[in-house]
Amino acid sequence: MLHSQLPWWIGGPILGLCVVAMRWLMNERLGVMGAWSDVVDTVAARRLSFGPFGWVLFGLIAGSAAFAVIAGGRDFHGYGWMTDTFHGTGGTILIAAILLVCGVLIGLGTKVAGGCTSGNGLSGNAMLSPASFVATMTFFATGIAVNVVIAALI
Amino acid sequence: MRRTHVAGLLIGIVFGVVLSWSGMSSPVVIREGLLFEDPYLFLFFFGAVTTAFAGLRILRKRAPRALLTGERVAWEPVKPERRHVVGSLVFGIGWGVSGACPGPIATQLGQGIWWGVPTTIGLVGGILLFRRLQARTHADRGRTPCASVIPSPIAADATA
Repeated sequence: MLHSQLPWWIGGPILGLCVVAMRWLMNERLGVMGAWSDVVDTVAARRLSFGPFGWVLFGLIAGSAAFAVIAGGRDFHGYGWMTDTFHGTGGTILIAAILLVCGVLIGLGTKVAGGCTSGNGLSGNAMLSPASFVATMTFFATGIAVNVVIAALI
Repeated sequence: MRRTHVAGLLIGIVFGVVLSWSGMSSPVVIREGLLFEDPYLFLFFFGAVTTAFAGLRILRKRAPRALLTGERVAWEPVKPERRHVVGSLVFGIGWGVSGACPGPIATQLGQGIWWGVPTTIGLVGGILLFRRLQARTHADRGRTPCASVIPSPIAADATA
């Protein structure tokens, strides 16, 4: 039952309300990259005194774990075009290497741009911040271009 | 745990359940969206932004102080700079290829999808690389080639 996709007109507005709640409760801009950064920065300083953003990340992980348990297991088969294209042990290693590089690009890029799909895309655009609008147009255009190129190649 | 920590945790839980339930942890859903094969991704995003926009407008008028911290509820629009384009271009490549962004990477881990592990290691590496570039760039201001794209530690949107 839970494995059927939540309608967009329910899921989308709930995410929007999370942005509003973060602002209403503590005047902060909700962004998942901010959450990752808080955890990395705190651990890098050899401390465990996480701020509200660190707790957002723990909540994200706990919430999705609870979802997987209630839904009766993860709803995930393979890794899309990558597991369809690359097979065997060599393929698995190649995919892991590609994902590792993607992770670096995601981490570095969002830090430079001051936000990811949630920080710039969701919270920043909701505040009508021009920088977030430019960032969102850029990452959507790039993401679309990359997928069109991959679709043409495989 | 302070009250803001509990609030952060609860917001994170709601965010994680919704991202998981909407299928955003799956790179297939992201890819179908970016190839315009399924309108879900864009509709979901549209629903989230418009709701957040309306909610923030109401907050600005009706709730001048944050409930837990007592701070003034306020924000400054950020002016676009080169780094917003350059950073989002780099991010867009990683997002486009992997079909995962920072939220879904966390929900993949939570759901026990082990493909999220290499992406997470890369993500943490990217943050550490940024910290190093930032320290170097701003210790040697103006002379390093990255100076125009690496934000200073006190940039307005540095929390992201």
